[in-house]
Parts: sequence; C-alpha cells; structure tokens
Amino acid sequence: MEYDENGVSIVPSEFKKEIFEEARKDFRYEEYVRGCLNCGVCTGGCPPHRFFDFSPRIVLQKMKSKDPELIWTMMDEYIWACFQCFTCAMICPFLNSPGGIIAVLREIAVRRGFESAKKVLKPYSRVLLKLTAYGNQLSPDMIQPDFFPDWGPTIGYASTDLAVKRKAIPMPTLQVTNLAWDVAPEAMKELYEIFDEAGVFKIIESVDPSLYEIIQDIVDDVRSS
Amino acid sequence: MSENILVVGGGPAGLNAAVMLSELGVNVALVERDSFLGGNPKKFKYKFLFPDMQPADNVIGELIKKAEAGGGIKVYYSSEISDFKENGKKFDVTIKSADGSEKKTFDSVIVATGFEHFDPARDAKYSYQLFDDVIDIKDLERMMGENNFVRPSNGKPPKKVAFILCVGSRDRHVGNQYCSRVCCTVSVKQAIEMREHFPDCEAYIFYMDIRTYGFFEDLYWQAMEEHDVQIVKGRIAEITSGPDNTVICKGEDTLLRGPFEIPFDMVVLASGMEGGPQSPEISSKLGIELDEHGFLKPENITLSPFKSNKPGIFLAGACTGPKAISDSITEGAAAAMNAYTYAVKNR
Repeated sequence: MEYDENGVSIVPSEFKKEIFEEARKDFRYEEYVRGCLNCGVCTGGCPPHRFFDFSPRIVLQKMKSKDPELIWTMMDEYIWACFQCFTCAMICPFLNSPGGIIAVLREIAVRRGFESAKKVLKPYSRVLLKLTAYGNQLSPDMIQPDFFPDWGPTIGYASTDLAVKRKAIPMPTLQVTNLAWDVAPEAMKELYEIFDEAGVFKIIESVDPSLYEIIQDIVDDVRSS
Repeated sequence: MSENILVVGGGPAGLNAAVMLSELGVNVALVERDSFLGGNPKKFKYKFLFPDMQPADNVIGELIKKAEAGGGIKVYYSSEISDFKENGKKFDVTIKSADGSEKKTFDSVIVATGFEHFDPARDAKYSYQLFDDVIDIKDLERMMGENNFVRPSNGKPPKKVAFILCVGSRDRHVGNQYCSRVCCTVSVKQAIEMREHFPDCEAYIFYMDIRTYGFFEDLYWQAMEEHDVQIVKGRIAEITSGPDNTVICKGEDTLLRGPFEIPFDMVVLASGMEGGPQSPEISSKLGIELDEHGFLKPENITLSPFKSNKPGIFLAGACTGPKAISDSITEGAAAAMNAYTYAVKNR
C-alpha cells in the first residue's frame, strides 16, 4: 500500500470501492458472510491467531461493515496470514466462513496482481511451474536436503541415485525423476485448455511475468508436438 | 355427566392443567411416560428455581401432591398413547401402560410433552463425556440437589469453575438456531448458588450475550456485584485437558484479553432445550404440526400459543418451545381453560 507524506493512503477511494464490489459480487459471498454477534469462537479456535495479529472475527466484521476503507486495510498483508485451515468455518455458530471470504479476497489480489500477492507467491514459483506446465506438483528431483530439512536425516540418501530408485517402482509412469509421474501430452494439452478457459495463465502473467514466459515456452512446445 | 379430558405429560404444564381441570369437576386422564410425575424438574432433581431461589419441591412437589390426591385425576404412569382417532368432535384414545391397554373417549386433549435437555456430547468442541470434569447445568443441578458438589474426576471440591453459555443453542452446526431462553438465568443462578455455598471457589461465565430477560436481570447484576462472578465476553472454541488434572477453556475474550486459554477445575455447560424425540412422535400420532425447530407448532404463536392446528387439541409448556417453569405453569392453566371450553361446547 502506498502513502503520502502524512501517512494517508493514496489509493483512491473509488478503487477501494471497486475491490469491495468485486468481493461482494462473488458467487460465494452470500454463503460465506452471514450474521455475526462477535462471539469470538472463530478467533478462539484460529491457529494463526496465536502467532500473528490476525483474527477471522475481524475479517468477517470488516466484510459485514460494507466499508470499502476497512476492507482495503486487509488486502495488503492481513489476508495472507490465514492458514486456510477453515477451523473458523467449522466452528462458527452462524456458519460464516471467514477463511472462505479470505480466499475470495486473495483471488482478487492475485487476479489484479497486487504487490502482496506477488510477494507471497514468489517462493512458490517452482511449484507453480510444475503445476501449470505438467499438472503435478512435487517431483523427486525437487527433494533436496537444502529444501526439506524437516524430512529428517535420511533426506540425503533419498535424494541420491533417483533414476535407479524410481526404476524400482513397478508402474512405468512413475519411473521418472523430473516429474511426480509421466504425463501424456494429450493430458497436458487438455490441462492447458482448462487453464486458458479458467484464466489461470492470465493470472500467472500478472503476478510473475518471467515465470509466465517459461511456462508459455513449455506450453507452446507441447502444443506443437 | 362430567367432561373427560386427556392430558399428555406430567411436568409442570401438564400437572397444572390436570389440577385446574379437576377443580372444575372434569375427569382427567393424565398420561405420563415416566414412572413418576414432575417431568424434567423431578427427573433431574432441580434444587432451587430462579428467580427467588425457591426450592423446586415447593413448586413441583405441591403440584404432584394435588394431582396424586385423587379427585378427578387418574394418573397413568409409564404409559403412552398407542392409538388416537378423531370421532366427530371427540377423540378415541387407547392408553397403553404396564396394566394393559385402555380405550377411552375424550372431549378434548392437552399435549404437554415438554422438552429434552440438549446432549452436549453432540458438540465435540466441548469434550463432554471425554473429560469427567466437564458437566452440564442439569448435572450440576443434580449435584447440588444431592449435596454432592465435587469434581467428578477426583471427588474433591473445585476451586475454579467455568460456566459456558449457549451450548446447543444459537448454533447452526448442531441444528438449533434458537435461544433456549432459560439457560443464561439458570447458569447465573447456579454461579450465585455456588459462590454462596463455596465462597473459595471462583466462578467465570463465558457468554455471547447474557439473556437474563425481564426481572431476571437482577440476578446477573447480583452475581457481579455481590458474588464476584467473572463475566467474560467470548464463546468457547475448544475444551482441552490441561496440567494438574485441569480442563482448559480456549477462546477469545473479544473485549479485553484477546485470545485466552484458562485452566479450570470444572466446566459447566449451559445446555439448551430441544423438542426431543417425543415431539415428532406425538405430532404424527395426533396429526398436529411440528415447527422447523423440532417443537410443536401453535396455531397462532401470538394470539393462541396454547392451541394446536387441530380443534380440540391444546398445547402447554415447553413442547412448543423453550420456556421457564413459571411460563409452563401459566400455559397449563391457559390450555386447561381452552380445553374445558371446547369440551363444554361440544358435549
């Protein structure tokens, strides 16, 4: 978010209103935002609330205020503190879904390429690449000791001689190391159609233009094969 | 020849209806599913009633005594309606009890089948039945009634007790969106009672709102001003076990503390009221309407809350929704008046 020399947000109020309208027009809005009497059950049960200045009750109350200024204050960092565990939705006596409405706000931030979204998605570019280009997420060659220290002392052994070890798996599609499983070109082409139609490629272009270029090269290769 | 009126249910509402009708010279058949009269207050041994801490036995005991004194009331214990048919403006009813079945014709019927306490085990976040020291208001009422106020886990008196309001009420997850009306007042009453008898035991009440409606408001002020009961705004999200055999209430104090985890020796859940399995059962047997909350539905909630949708069948007490004992007794009288009028008119 940008501020002038007096610390006042320089984002025009019209724009903030537009963001709120976009959230409110989402087909999930009515389902996620219902009555709220500030009972605090959601925040009481919220795991990130123990670590961050983050409260699902505040998220819901701000949405219910219908005040674009208040909602805008969450768009920068606040919505990214949520773990998306949906404990709040599970225990809210009104059946609100603060986690759900956060997902809606995050999607807006990603679609519009907000700085906060770019910052949050940066560490996931490898995952995004695999996912959008090949349709699977974590490949054996990504399992390196540096990236997965929490996998315990055998991670070093697990990351060596991958090709040989994968050959031991009796399913041919799993005998690859640069992908979780071998994806047929036909399947990939179908996947790209879906991503095109759903606007996924466009979203990636707005949050990470260089990643988008790499993905498009792969997509073009596969499509022309 | 005097009128014959059937009263189903021997709780506060049914008892008062039966007693009033018998005073009018009516022959009353009082059908009670349990082997005793008095309904839930008797079954769960309520000790003192709000707002004036009157012994429950003074109220319920008095009604039972009158009903059992004979007069025009015949009580069928451990019994139920096994067959129900309309016969013109009258009703042909078979009453099944341990002594066998009895078929009778009645001029009108009063349904006072009451409520069931919500079973807190249905809402897993409260860990009822998982931890011994998590009990509910009816359990505490029984403990107090039996002069046995100790922690179920170790038999020692508790030093710090939490009362949690709105358990099984005002919660779409458990399917009860309504307020059970009396649990706030009962909890505040119990907290006062506890502080009076066990002054070294701290009391906390966790609330979303405190609905001690009307004059019951006095109790809640009294709890704070005279009995030092801590009243904290925040519904409990989870109950877990803590060190030293404690139970931890986890939630958000939305006004002061923010997130909290407080250990207690004992937790009392203010479980609400439900229509119970008897409401749909009597609804289909008698052909009267059930509402969306699982209680019986009055013909007109404002104008005639004691009338069912079927002429000649009247409703009284908590079978039409959560209410206090005093309201049930009032409705018993109202239903008696209406059932009597109907019976006399259609003789």
